[in-house]
Amino acid sequence: MRWTIALSLMAGPAWAQQAGWGNVGKAQEEKGFSWTDPMFSGFWMAWTPATLAFFVFIFAAIAVMGLLEWRRPGGAPRDGILGLATTRGDRLFIWLLGSAYIFLAWLGLVGTPLWVPLGLAIAWGAFCFWKV
Amino acid sequence: MKTVNQRAWFFVLPVLLLVAFNALVPLMTVVNYSVQETFGDNLFFWHGVGWFEDVLRSERFHAALGRQLLFTFLILIIEVPLGVAIALAMPRKGFWVPVCLVLMALPLLIPWNVVGAMWNIFTLPDIGLAGYTLNEVLGINYNMTQSPLAAWITIIVMDVWHWTSLVVLLAYAGLISIPDAYYQAAKIDGASNWSVFRYIQLPKMKRVLTIAILLRFMDSFNIYTEVFVLTGGGPGNSTTLLSIDLVKTALGQFDLGPAAAMSLIYFLVTLLVSWVFYTVMTKDEP
Repeated sequence: MRWTIALSLMAGPAWAQQAGWGNVGKAQEEKGFSWTDPMFSGFWMAWTPATLAFFVFIFAAIAVMGLLEWRRPGGAPRDGILGLATTRGDRLFIWLLGSAYIFLAWLGLVGTPLWVPLGLAIAWGAFCFWKV
Repeated sequence: MKTVNQRAWFFVLPVLLLVAFNALVPLMTVVNYSVQETFGDNLFFWHGVGWFEDVLRSERFHAALGRQLLFTFLILIIEVPLGVAIALAMPRKGFWVPVCLVLMALPLLIPWNVVGAMWNIFTLPDIGLAGYTLNEVLGINYNMTQSPLAAWITIIVMDVWHWTSLVVLLAYAGLISIPDAYYQAAKIDGASNWSVFRYIQLPKMKRVLTIAILLRFMDSFNIYTEVFVLTGGGPGNSTTLLSIDLVKTALGQFDLGPAAAMSLIYFLVTLLVSWVFYTVMTKDEP
Protein backbone atom coordinates (compact mmCIF):
# COMPACT_ATOMS: atom_id res chain seq x y z
CA MET A 1 0.00 0.00 0.00
CA ARG A 2 2.71 2.43 1.04
CA TRP A 3 4.59 1.69 -2.16
CA THR A 4 1.51 2.37 -4.26
CA ILE A 5 1.10 5.79 -2.70
CA ALA A 6 4.80 6.54 -3.04
CA LEU A 7 4.78 5.48 -6.67
CA SER A 8 1.72 7.53 -7.50
CA LEU A 9 3.28 10.54 -5.78
CA MET A 10 6.34 10.08 -7.95
CA ALA A 11 4.19 9.73 -11.04
CA GLY A 12 2.55 13.08 -10.29
CA PRO A 13 5.62 15.26 -10.84
CA ALA A 14 6.65 13.11 -13.79
CA TRP A 15 3.29 13.76 -15.43
CA ALA A 16 3.51 17.47 -14.64
CA GLN A 17 6.98 17.57 -16.13
CA GLN A 18 5.67 15.94 -19.27
CA ALA A 19 2.77 18.41 -19.45
CA GLY A 20 5.30 21.24 -19.47
CA TRP A 21 4.84 22.56 -15.93
CA GLY A 22 8.57 22.74 -15.44
CA ASN A 23 9.01 25.03 -18.40
CA VAL A 24 7.91 28.10 -16.46
CA GLY A 25 10.53 30.81 -16.50
CA LYS A 26 12.78 28.97 -18.96
CA ALA A 27 13.72 30.35 -22.33
CA GLN A 28 11.45 29.07 -25.05
CA GLU A 29 12.86 27.01 -27.86
CA GLU A 30 13.34 28.55 -31.27
CA LYS A 31 10.32 27.66 -33.31
CA GLY A 32 10.96 29.64 -36.47
CA PHE A 33 9.33 32.75 -37.88
CA SER A 34 5.82 33.68 -36.82
CA TRP A 35 3.85 36.74 -37.92
CA THR A 36 2.38 37.16 -34.47
CA ASP A 37 5.36 36.74 -32.14
CA PRO A 38 6.94 39.76 -30.44
CA MET A 39 9.82 41.13 -32.50
CA PHE A 40 11.86 42.88 -29.83
CA SER A 41 11.17 41.12 -26.57
CA GLY A 42 10.53 43.51 -23.68
CA PHE A 43 10.27 46.63 -25.87
CA TRP A 44 7.29 48.81 -24.90
CA MET A 45 6.14 49.48 -28.44
CA ALA A 46 5.34 45.77 -28.74
CA TRP A 47 6.06 45.33 -32.44
CA THR A 48 5.01 42.15 -34.20
CA PRO A 49 5.75 41.34 -37.84
CA ALA A 50 2.02 41.57 -38.60
CA THR A 51 1.58 45.12 -37.25
CA LEU A 52 4.91 46.16 -38.78
CA ALA A 53 3.69 44.91 -42.16
CA PHE A 54 0.52 46.98 -41.70
CA PHE A 55 2.52 50.17 -41.17
CA VAL A 56 4.98 49.32 -43.96
CA PHE A 57 1.93 49.07 -46.23
CA ILE A 58 0.54 52.45 -45.09
CA PHE A 59 3.87 54.26 -45.43
CA ALA A 60 4.56 52.55 -48.77
CA ALA A 61 1.18 53.77 -50.04
CA ILE A 62 2.06 57.34 -48.96
CA ALA A 63 5.51 56.97 -50.57
CA VAL A 64 3.90 55.80 -53.82
CA MET A 65 1.68 58.88 -53.71
CA GLY A 66 4.83 60.99 -53.28
CA LEU A 67 6.56 59.30 -56.22
CA LEU A 68 3.51 59.71 -58.44
CA GLU A 69 3.29 63.37 -57.46
CA TRP A 70 6.96 63.78 -58.38
CA ARG A 71 6.55 62.09 -61.78
CA ARG A 72 3.12 63.57 -62.59
CA PRO A 73 2.50 66.68 -60.46
CA GLY A 74 -0.98 68.03 -59.84
CA GLY A 75 -2.52 65.06 -58.05
CA ALA A 76 -4.69 63.96 -61.01
CA PRO A 77 -7.77 65.90 -59.85
CA ARG A 78 -11.23 64.95 -61.10
CA ASP A 79 -14.89 65.12 -60.15
CA GLY A 80 -15.79 61.70 -58.84
CA ILE A 81 -19.19 60.05 -58.76
CA LEU A 82 -19.67 60.88 -55.07
CA GLY A 83 -19.91 64.51 -56.15
CA LEU A 84 -16.48 65.30 -54.70
CA ALA A 85 -13.49 66.80 -56.42
CA THR A 86 -10.70 64.41 -55.44
CA THR A 87 -6.98 64.06 -56.01
CA ARG A 88 -5.28 60.69 -55.83
CA GLY A 89 -4.27 61.39 -52.23
CA ASP A 90 -7.95 61.96 -51.36
CA ARG A 91 -8.83 58.68 -53.06
CA LEU A 92 -6.21 56.84 -51.00
CA PHE A 93 -7.58 58.42 -47.82
CA ILE A 94 -11.18 57.53 -48.71
CA TRP A 95 -10.11 53.99 -49.52
CA LEU A 96 -8.24 53.48 -46.23
CA LEU A 97 -10.89 55.10 -44.05
CA GLY A 98 -13.66 53.18 -45.81
CA SER A 99 -11.73 49.93 -45.43
CA ALA A 100 -11.31 50.50 -41.70
CA TYR A 101 -15.08 50.87 -41.40
CA ILE A 102 -15.71 47.79 -43.57
CA PHE A 103 -13.55 45.71 -41.22
CA LEU A 104 -15.10 47.22 -38.08
CA ALA A 105 -18.64 46.70 -39.37
CA TRP A 106 -17.88 43.07 -40.24
CA LEU A 107 -16.27 42.44 -36.85
CA GLY A 108 -19.19 43.99 -35.02
CA LEU A 109 -21.96 42.36 -37.02
CA VAL A 110 -20.48 39.02 -38.15
CA GLY A 111 -17.08 38.34 -36.56
CA THR A 112 -14.02 36.43 -37.71
CA PRO A 113 -12.64 35.27 -40.16
CA LEU A 114 -12.02 38.45 -42.10
CA TRP A 115 -11.56 37.17 -45.66
CA VAL A 116 -14.89 38.57 -46.88
CA PRO A 117 -14.26 42.13 -45.61
CA LEU A 118 -10.71 41.89 -47.03
CA GLY A 119 -12.25 41.21 -50.43
CA LEU A 120 -14.76 44.02 -49.90
CA ALA A 121 -11.97 46.42 -48.90
CA ILE A 122 -9.95 45.58 -52.01
CA ALA A 123 -13.05 46.01 -54.16
CA TRP A 124 -13.74 49.35 -52.42
CA GLY A 125 -10.13 50.38 -53.18
CA ALA A 126 -10.52 49.51 -56.85
CA PHE A 127 -13.78 51.47 -56.93
CA CYS A 128 -12.15 54.48 -55.19
CA PHE A 129 -9.26 54.73 -57.65
CA TRP A 130 -11.51 54.04 -60.62
CA LYS A 131 -14.59 56.19 -60.01
CA VAL A 132 -14.41 58.34 -56.86
CA MET B 1 10.69 75.28 -67.81
CA LYS B 2 9.92 77.11 -64.60
CA THR B 3 12.06 76.12 -61.64
CA VAL B 4 10.15 75.89 -58.42
CA ASN B 5 12.12 76.22 -55.20
CA GLN B 6 11.09 73.39 -52.91
CA ARG B 7 13.51 74.31 -50.14
CA ALA B 8 10.65 75.61 -47.97
CA TRP B 9 9.74 72.00 -47.19
CA PHE B 10 12.81 71.73 -44.97
CA PHE B 11 11.24 74.28 -42.65
CA VAL B 12 8.41 71.83 -42.03
CA LEU B 13 10.87 69.21 -40.86
CA PRO B 14 10.99 70.18 -37.13
CA VAL B 15 7.21 70.06 -36.91
CA LEU B 16 7.20 66.71 -38.68
CA LEU B 17 9.66 65.32 -36.14
CA LEU B 18 7.64 66.72 -33.25
CA VAL B 19 4.42 65.21 -34.59
CA ALA B 20 6.21 61.92 -35.17
CA PHE B 21 7.14 61.71 -31.53
CA ASN B 22 3.98 63.04 -29.90
CA ALA B 23 1.42 61.53 -32.26
CA LEU B 24 2.74 58.98 -34.70
CA VAL B 25 4.81 56.82 -32.34
CA PRO B 26 2.01 56.65 -29.72
CA LEU B 27 -0.54 55.88 -32.43
CA MET B 28 1.59 53.05 -33.81
CA THR B 29 2.03 51.72 -30.28
CA VAL B 30 -1.73 51.78 -29.76
CA VAL B 31 -2.19 49.78 -32.95
CA ASN B 32 0.34 47.25 -31.67
CA TYR B 33 -1.37 47.01 -28.29
CA SER B 34 -4.81 46.62 -29.82
CA VAL B 35 -4.01 43.15 -31.17
CA GLN B 36 -2.15 41.85 -28.13
CA GLU B 37 -2.70 41.02 -24.47
CA THR B 38 -0.34 42.06 -21.71
CA PHE B 39 -0.12 41.47 -17.98
CA GLY B 40 2.57 44.09 -17.52
CA ASP B 41 6.36 43.92 -17.62
CA ASN B 42 6.32 44.61 -21.38
CA LEU B 43 5.40 41.00 -22.13
CA PHE B 44 2.87 40.74 -24.94
CA PHE B 45 0.80 37.89 -26.29
CA TRP B 46 -0.96 37.87 -29.63
CA HIS B 47 -4.74 38.19 -29.41
CA GLY B 48 -5.72 39.02 -33.00
CA VAL B 49 -8.79 41.14 -33.59
CA GLY B 50 -10.57 39.79 -30.51
CA TRP B 51 -10.47 43.09 -28.61
CA PHE B 52 -12.15 44.90 -31.49
CA GLU B 53 -14.87 42.27 -31.56
CA ASP B 54 -15.37 42.57 -27.78
CA VAL B 55 -15.45 46.36 -27.78
CA LEU B 56 -17.79 46.64 -30.77
CA ARG B 57 -20.26 44.30 -29.12
CA SER B 58 -19.99 45.56 -25.55
CA GLU B 59 -23.01 47.26 -23.99
CA ARG B 60 -20.68 49.44 -21.98
CA PHE B 61 -19.00 50.83 -25.09
CA HIS B 62 -22.33 51.45 -26.82
CA ALA B 63 -23.62 53.31 -23.78
CA ALA B 64 -20.49 55.46 -23.46
CA LEU B 65 -20.51 56.23 -27.19
CA GLY B 66 -24.20 57.17 -26.99
CA ARG B 67 -23.56 59.53 -24.08
CA GLN B 68 -20.61 61.03 -25.94
CA LEU B 69 -22.65 61.66 -29.09
CA LEU B 70 -25.50 63.17 -27.06
CA PHE B 71 -23.08 65.45 -25.21
CA THR B 72 -21.41 66.66 -28.42
CA PHE B 73 -24.79 67.16 -30.12
CA LEU B 74 -26.16 69.25 -27.24
CA ILE B 75 -22.95 71.28 -27.03
CA LEU B 76 -23.02 72.12 -30.72
CA ILE B 77 -26.69 73.08 -30.96
CA ILE B 78 -26.34 75.36 -27.93
CA GLU B 79 -22.89 76.89 -28.40
CA VAL B 80 -22.92 77.67 -32.11
CA PRO B 81 -26.19 79.70 -32.28
CA LEU B 82 -25.45 81.31 -28.92
CA GLY B 83 -21.93 82.22 -30.01
CA VAL B 84 -23.18 83.77 -33.24
CA ALA B 85 -25.88 85.71 -31.36
CA ILE B 86 -23.37 87.12 -28.88
CA ALA B 87 -20.96 88.03 -31.68
CA LEU B 88 -23.78 89.89 -33.46
CA ALA B 89 -24.63 91.77 -30.27
CA MET B 90 -21.05 92.83 -29.61
CA PRO B 91 -20.01 96.41 -30.50
CA ARG B 92 -17.95 96.82 -33.67
CA LYS B 93 -16.05 99.96 -32.66
CA GLY B 94 -15.36 102.14 -29.67
CA PHE B 95 -14.39 101.75 -26.03
CA TRP B 96 -16.37 98.57 -25.35
CA VAL B 97 -14.70 96.44 -28.03
CA PRO B 98 -11.56 95.54 -26.04
CA VAL B 99 -13.61 95.17 -22.85
CA CYS B 100 -15.94 92.66 -24.52
CA LEU B 101 -13.06 90.80 -26.15
CA VAL B 102 -11.15 90.43 -22.89
CA LEU B 103 -14.30 89.32 -21.03
CA MET B 104 -14.97 86.78 -23.76
CA ALA B 105 -11.40 85.49 -23.70
CA LEU B 106 -11.33 85.01 -19.91
CA PRO B 107 -12.98 81.56 -19.71
CA LEU B 108 -10.68 80.29 -22.46
CA LEU B 109 -7.63 81.15 -20.35
CA ILE B 110 -8.63 78.94 -17.44
CA PRO B 111 -7.08 75.46 -17.36
CA TRP B 112 -9.49 72.57 -17.81
CA ASN B 113 -8.99 71.00 -14.41
CA VAL B 114 -9.54 74.36 -12.73
CA VAL B 115 -12.80 74.79 -14.66
CA GLY B 116 -13.93 71.40 -13.41
CA ALA B 117 -12.95 72.14 -9.82
CA MET B 118 -14.55 75.61 -9.95
CA TRP B 119 -17.85 74.26 -11.18
CA ASN B 120 -17.73 71.41 -8.72
CA ILE B 121 -17.47 73.78 -5.77
CA PHE B 122 -19.90 76.22 -7.39
CA THR B 123 -22.65 73.61 -7.83
CA LEU B 124 -22.29 71.43 -4.72
CA PRO B 125 -25.76 71.50 -3.11
CA ASP B 126 -24.60 72.11 0.46
CA ILE B 127 -21.72 74.59 0.08
CA GLY B 128 -21.75 75.79 -3.55
CA LEU B 129 -23.15 79.20 -4.39
CA ALA B 130 -25.34 77.94 -7.23
CA GLY B 131 -26.19 74.65 -5.53
CA TYR B 132 -27.14 76.28 -2.24
CA THR B 133 -29.13 79.06 -3.91
CA LEU B 134 -31.11 76.64 -6.05
CA ASN B 135 -31.89 74.28 -3.18
CA GLU B 136 -32.31 76.51 -0.17
CA VAL B 137 -33.38 79.85 -1.61
CA LEU B 138 -35.35 78.93 -4.71
CA GLY B 139 -36.48 75.56 -3.39
CA ILE B 140 -35.52 73.63 -6.55
CA ASN B 141 -34.32 70.12 -5.82
CA TYR B 142 -30.96 70.17 -7.55
CA ASN B 143 -28.15 67.76 -6.67
CA MET B 144 -25.62 66.97 -9.34
CA THR B 145 -23.97 64.33 -7.18
CA GLN B 146 -27.17 62.28 -7.03
CA SER B 147 -29.40 63.06 -9.97
CA PRO B 148 -28.18 62.17 -13.49
CA LEU B 149 -30.30 64.93 -15.01
CA ALA B 150 -28.77 67.57 -12.72
CA ALA B 151 -25.30 66.22 -13.50
CA TRP B 152 -25.98 66.46 -17.23
CA ILE B 153 -27.34 69.99 -16.94
CA THR B 154 -24.26 70.95 -14.94
CA ILE B 155 -21.71 69.57 -17.41
CA ILE B 156 -23.57 71.15 -20.35
CA VAL B 157 -23.76 74.55 -18.65
CA MET B 158 -20.10 74.28 -17.68
CA ASP B 159 -19.03 73.53 -21.23
CA VAL B 160 -21.22 76.33 -22.61
CA TRP B 161 -19.65 78.71 -20.10
CA HIS B 162 -16.14 77.55 -20.98
CA TRP B 163 -16.28 77.26 -24.76
CA THR B 164 -19.00 79.51 -26.21
CA SER B 165 -16.37 82.28 -26.18
CA LEU B 166 -14.39 80.43 -28.80
CA VAL B 167 -17.36 80.48 -31.18
CA VAL B 168 -17.99 84.13 -30.27
CA LEU B 169 -14.42 85.21 -31.02
CA LEU B 170 -14.28 83.32 -34.31
CA ALA B 171 -17.71 84.56 -35.42
CA TYR B 172 -16.76 88.11 -34.39
CA ALA B 173 -13.57 87.89 -36.47
CA GLY B 174 -15.72 86.83 -39.41
CA LEU B 175 -18.19 89.67 -38.81
CA ILE B 176 -15.69 92.52 -38.60
CA SER B 177 -14.02 91.39 -41.83
CA ILE B 178 -17.22 92.23 -43.78
CA PRO B 179 -16.66 95.53 -45.63
CA ASP B 180 -19.10 98.38 -44.90
CA ALA B 181 -20.11 98.46 -48.57
CA TYR B 182 -22.20 95.32 -48.08
CA TYR B 183 -24.19 96.92 -45.28
CA GLN B 184 -24.64 100.14 -47.25
CA ALA B 185 -25.92 98.20 -50.25
CA ALA B 186 -28.32 96.30 -48.00
CA LYS B 187 -29.55 99.57 -46.50
CA ILE B 188 -30.22 101.05 -49.94
CA ASP B 189 -32.19 97.94 -50.88
CA GLY B 190 -34.16 98.27 -47.66
CA ALA B 191 -33.14 94.84 -46.42
CA SER B 192 -34.45 93.71 -43.04
CA ASN B 193 -32.13 92.71 -40.23
CA TRP B 194 -32.93 89.09 -40.91
CA SER B 195 -32.04 89.40 -44.63
CA VAL B 196 -28.79 91.14 -43.73
CA PHE B 197 -27.97 88.24 -41.42
CA ARG B 198 -29.14 85.53 -43.81
CA TYR B 199 -27.60 86.83 -47.05
CA ILE B 200 -24.57 88.86 -45.93
CA GLN B 201 -23.37 87.97 -42.45
CA LEU B 202 -23.99 84.23 -42.43
CA PRO B 203 -22.36 83.51 -45.82
CA LYS B 204 -19.40 85.69 -44.85
CA MET B 205 -19.04 83.82 -41.55
CA LYS B 206 -19.27 80.39 -43.17
CA ARG B 207 -15.53 79.79 -43.21
CA VAL B 208 -14.89 80.74 -39.58
CA LEU B 209 -18.02 78.90 -38.46
CA THR B 210 -16.77 75.76 -40.21
CA ILE B 211 -13.58 76.01 -38.19
CA ALA B 212 -15.53 76.81 -35.01
CA ILE B 213 -17.85 73.81 -35.40
CA LEU B 214 -14.95 71.51 -36.26
CA LEU B 215 -12.95 72.66 -33.22
CA ARG B 216 -15.97 72.40 -30.94
CA PHE B 217 -16.84 68.98 -32.31
CA MET B 218 -13.35 67.58 -31.81
CA ASP B 219 -12.84 69.19 -28.40
CA SER B 220 -16.21 68.15 -27.01
CA PHE B 221 -15.91 64.67 -28.49
CA ASN B 222 -12.55 64.25 -26.75
CA ILE B 223 -13.53 66.03 -23.52
CA TYR B 224 -12.09 64.45 -20.39
CA THR B 225 -10.67 66.66 -17.67
CA GLU B 226 -13.58 69.01 -16.94
CA VAL B 227 -16.22 66.31 -16.68
CA PHE B 228 -13.90 64.00 -14.80
CA VAL B 229 -13.11 66.62 -12.19
CA LEU B 230 -16.72 67.79 -11.94
CA THR B 231 -18.64 64.52 -11.70
CA GLY B 232 -16.03 61.76 -12.00
CA GLY B 233 -18.37 60.10 -14.51
CA GLY B 234 -21.19 59.79 -12.02
CA PRO B 235 -23.68 59.53 -10.49
CA GLY B 236 -23.43 55.88 -11.41
CA ASN B 237 -22.21 55.89 -14.97
CA SER B 238 -24.52 58.63 -16.15
CA THR B 239 -21.80 61.09 -17.21
CA THR B 240 -19.14 58.51 -18.10
CA LEU B 241 -18.28 59.85 -21.54
CA LEU B 242 -16.17 57.86 -23.98
CA SER B 243 -12.85 59.34 -22.87
CA ILE B 244 -13.62 58.73 -19.18
CA ASP B 245 -14.57 55.13 -19.94
CA LEU B 246 -11.39 54.76 -21.97
CA VAL B 247 -9.18 55.98 -19.14
CA LYS B 248 -11.01 53.67 -16.70
CA THR B 249 -10.29 50.73 -19.00
CA ALA B 250 -6.68 51.66 -19.72
CA LEU B 251 -5.43 52.94 -16.38
CA GLY B 252 -8.04 51.79 -13.87
CA GLN B 253 -8.30 48.20 -15.01
CA PHE B 254 -4.99 48.18 -16.93
CA ASP B 255 -6.70 46.43 -19.85
CA LEU B 256 -4.35 47.88 -22.44
CA GLY B 257 -5.60 45.68 -25.29
CA PRO B 258 -9.32 46.56 -25.07
CA ALA B 259 -8.43 50.18 -24.32
CA ALA B 260 -6.23 50.35 -27.42
CA ALA B 261 -8.97 48.84 -29.59
CA MET B 262 -11.44 51.30 -28.07
CA SER B 263 -9.22 54.30 -28.72
CA LEU B 264 -8.71 53.27 -32.34
CA ILE B 265 -12.47 53.04 -32.86
CA TYR B 266 -12.81 56.40 -31.08
CA PHE B 267 -10.12 57.87 -33.35
CA LEU B 268 -11.84 56.52 -36.48
CA VAL B 269 -15.20 58.03 -35.44
CA THR B 270 -13.57 61.44 -34.89
CA LEU B 271 -11.69 61.17 -38.18
CA LEU B 272 -14.80 60.23 -40.18
CA VAL B 273 -17.05 62.92 -38.71
CA SER B 274 -14.39 65.62 -39.13
CA TRP B 275 -13.68 64.55 -42.70
CA VAL B 276 -17.34 64.36 -43.73
CA PHE B 277 -18.08 67.70 -42.12
CA TYR B 278 -15.08 69.45 -43.66
CA THR B 279 -15.75 67.94 -47.07
CA VAL B 280 -19.41 68.95 -47.05
CA MET B 281 -18.69 72.48 -45.82
CA THR B 282 -15.92 73.18 -48.37
CA LYS B 283 -17.46 71.31 -51.29
CA ASP B 284 -18.57 74.34 -53.28
CA GLU B 285 -15.34 76.23 -52.87
CA PRO B 286 -12.83 76.20 -55.71
